[in-house]
Amino acid sequence: MKHPDKVMNIISASGIRKSFGGVEVLHGVDLYLAQGEVLALLGENGAGKSTLVKIIAGDYVPDEGTITCGGNEFSSLDPIKARELGIRMIFQELNDAPTLTVAENISLGSWGAKNGFVSWKKINERAEKALALLGVNLDITKKVADLRIGERQIIEIARAVSENARVLVFDEPTAALSSAETERLFSVIENLRTKSVGMIYITHRLDEVARVADRVEVLRDGSVALMANAKTASRGELVSAMIGRDASDISHPTDRPKPGAKILSATSIGLDRAFSGIDFDVREGEVVALYGKVGSGTAEVAETIFGLHPEHSGNIELNGEIFEPKNPNSAIDNLIGFLPADRQRLGAFMIRPVAENLGVPSWPRYSKGGIITIDPEEKAYLNWTEKLKIRSRNDPKQKIATLSGGNQQKVLLARWFEGNSKLLVLIEPTRGVDVGARRDIYETLRKSAKEQNIGILITTSDHEEVVQVADRAIVMAKGHTVAEFKGNNITVESLISAAS
Amino acid sequence: MTSDTQKSSDAMTKKKGRSIPELFALTVFLILLIAFFSFASEYFLDIENAINIVTTLSVAGIIAVPGTMLLIAGQVDLSIGSAAAFLGTMVGVYAIKDSLGVGIAAAVVIGIIVGLVNGFLITKLQVNSLITTLGTLAILRGLCYIVGGGQTIMVNDFTFLGLDRPFLNLPTSVVIFVFIAIIGGLVMKYTTFGRSLYVIGANPAASRLVGVRNSRVLMICFVLSGLSTAAAGLILTSQLGAAAPMAATGLELSVITAIVLGGASLNGGRGTISGTILGLVIIGVLNNGLVLLNVDTFWQDVARGTLLIVAVTFDQIRERWSIKHK
Repeated sequence: MKHPDKVMNIISASGIRKSFGGVEVLHGVDLYLAQGEVLALLGENGAGKSTLVKIIAGDYVPDEGTITCGGNEFSSLDPIKARELGIRMIFQELNDAPTLTVAENISLGSWGAKNGFVSWKKINERAEKALALLGVNLDITKKVADLRIGERQIIEIARAVSENARVLVFDEPTAALSSAETERLFSVIENLRTKSVGMIYITHRLDEVARVADRVEVLRDGSVALMANAKTASRGELVSAMIGRDASDISHPTDRPKPGAKILSATSIGLDRAFSGIDFDVREGEVVALYGKVGSGTAEVAETIFGLHPEHSGNIELNGEIFEPKNPNSAIDNLIGFLPADRQRLGAFMIRPVAENLGVPSWPRYSKGGIITIDPEEKAYLNWTEKLKIRSRNDPKQKIATLSGGNQQKVLLARWFEGNSKLLVLIEPTRGVDVGARRDIYETLRKSAKEQNIGILITTSDHEEVVQVADRAIVMAKGHTVAEFKGNNITVESLISAAS
Repeated sequence: MTSDTQKSSDAMTKKKGRSIPELFALTVFLILLIAFFSFASEYFLDIENAINIVTTLSVAGIIAVPGTMLLIAGQVDLSIGSAAAFLGTMVGVYAIKDSLGVGIAAAVVIGIIVGLVNGFLITKLQVNSLITTLGTLAILRGLCYIVGGGQTIMVNDFTFLGLDRPFLNLPTSVVIFVFIAIIGGLVMKYTTFGRSLYVIGANPAASRLVGVRNSRVLMICFVLSGLSTAAAGLILTSQLGAAAPMAATGLELSVITAIVLGGASLNGGRGTISGTILGLVIIGVLNNGLVLLNVDTFWQDVARGTLLIVAVTFDQIRERWSIKHK
């Protein structure tokens, strides 16, 4: 790709390198942005997108490389310098003050106070002006807490604009928006374009790229994999730049046993705004994946099965009988095991021994009249550390906090195998797990589904995981089922295409 | 496999020795304390003085057993001192109105009710236990004065719990304390109830997801705490032959100091009954020794407060250390 005339660029970064703890995550990355241009920044999780934009916003200091902005070259920026240069991030999480009004929020941090007195006139003028610039109608006296999420996002943008932002960085801005709100955001972006504001637009949604961006840059494993015209780049081109290899590198399971009787079947289940009209079943010996981006509702479906959302609608059957999951105990009593997404907060008892972490769900079986000894737990420890290759000190009393993330996750899985679960419901089972342990976990899941004849339901946002472990994949987006794939028809391309 | 098992059982026995050092430092401290007071006062090293120490700590000890359970589960009951005084007052009131038997029954029943109320507020309404029991502390102390008219109520012919020595020349209160402590220790180690307390304290959100019935377990714990204050109130009344509205003031300080000193973590998930007993004995020896050395009682408060802060600091250092190194 030819580097355009430097004078045109509102900001450019070149040869950016950055390491964390001895691991280089950016290997000399370039990025440039012209006035009034929208650059879509794509890449899988961990590709280096957020590190790169944080360097541009002055949050991180690069190890090497330069940033050119406003005619000056910098070896690094700090947040204050970046603000002065007019660089602003619009975060996914809102940074507003919900109890204050729209006008106050737009002027947040710069209330034009004189001698400690605030000028309400100035605040209101400023807010009106910023909103007019964006072409948005909003009552500036309204409390922000009463607004919809998309409107609050627009206030964040208005605040940046009112402070003369020249470069806006959007981090997955449409992730939480309805389609009407998304349309409005796009028209705001159009307006900003005519005002010569440059925008970097991070997204996972491929269909948004051609829609909103002029150019697209794809990062992969800390390097630029593709720079292209956003209007002409094909979907396939973008996907293969993102994953960087033929999908055939990610292999399907080698054997697929014939699934047995239905364990779980859900008919038209729904929950508030999280998901609705979801149908699926899980059979003995089968691994079913609910695949979707974060916020697509997959995790909530799993939580519902485990009794965490008793207010759900629709019917759930377990082994052919009506099952009403009203709390975790009702699920556990019916031999359902559960792995939450947040291992530290919801899964492990960090300061407690590994053996205990493994044994708790089996306590009713170990005990008689409430009396229990430590022996069955320690036996279970020896058994499962060997079977699942859990690397530990061979000491059941070792605290689980001292194990690596992957080994912790294996312990949390083993607790349900030990608990004789017939159905496992696993949310993001390999999040924060290293590659080796990930392979072990896939192997374990496939093997136990086959040998113990249990059903496994996983929810994940990792398409490679789906390909490698699932017999059936149900793709969800915005709370609805959008596609279903079976066996070797589950491919990275088909999943990404369907979900975006 | 065989060699693996062998290796791991070796590791197990080796590691078993590791749990001792937790209480090792405390034991050494206690021995030094005893040595010091024995040297400083000729009255200290004496069997009757030893019985005296144990008798004095038995009231705090009885409450400290469920107190330890609560702290391990990440909860705290500050209402224990005023609850004990209030229940003692109830004994006095009913002993005069009806009979001693009715008074004892009233103390037990109301003790359970106090536990249920604390437990309900904390588990069902999700109010922080520190604040809830700080509230009930004030309420119960006020009620002592209201119900008892601010007077000390004489209770006659009630020597059995506090003064009689039915067994091995030990007062009944000491026998009860030792019995409760042994049962408590066994419960924590060998029952699903006791072991649930550790996992609830370590991570209440996670324990719910593996089938532990958090609310029910904590409710039982608060009721046990209420029951123990009934026992304490009865013993105090029996020891004095009267129910005084200001009885057991600051008892929560002694109890919590002993528990934390004994190695229970303020963050929950860690602690033992035996550690608490050791903590109690240290406080008992310290108080007794200071009395024998004719140190002003106000200095005893200073010593106890200092000990609490030292214990908590030690707990924090240990916590940080264990995160870093283990």
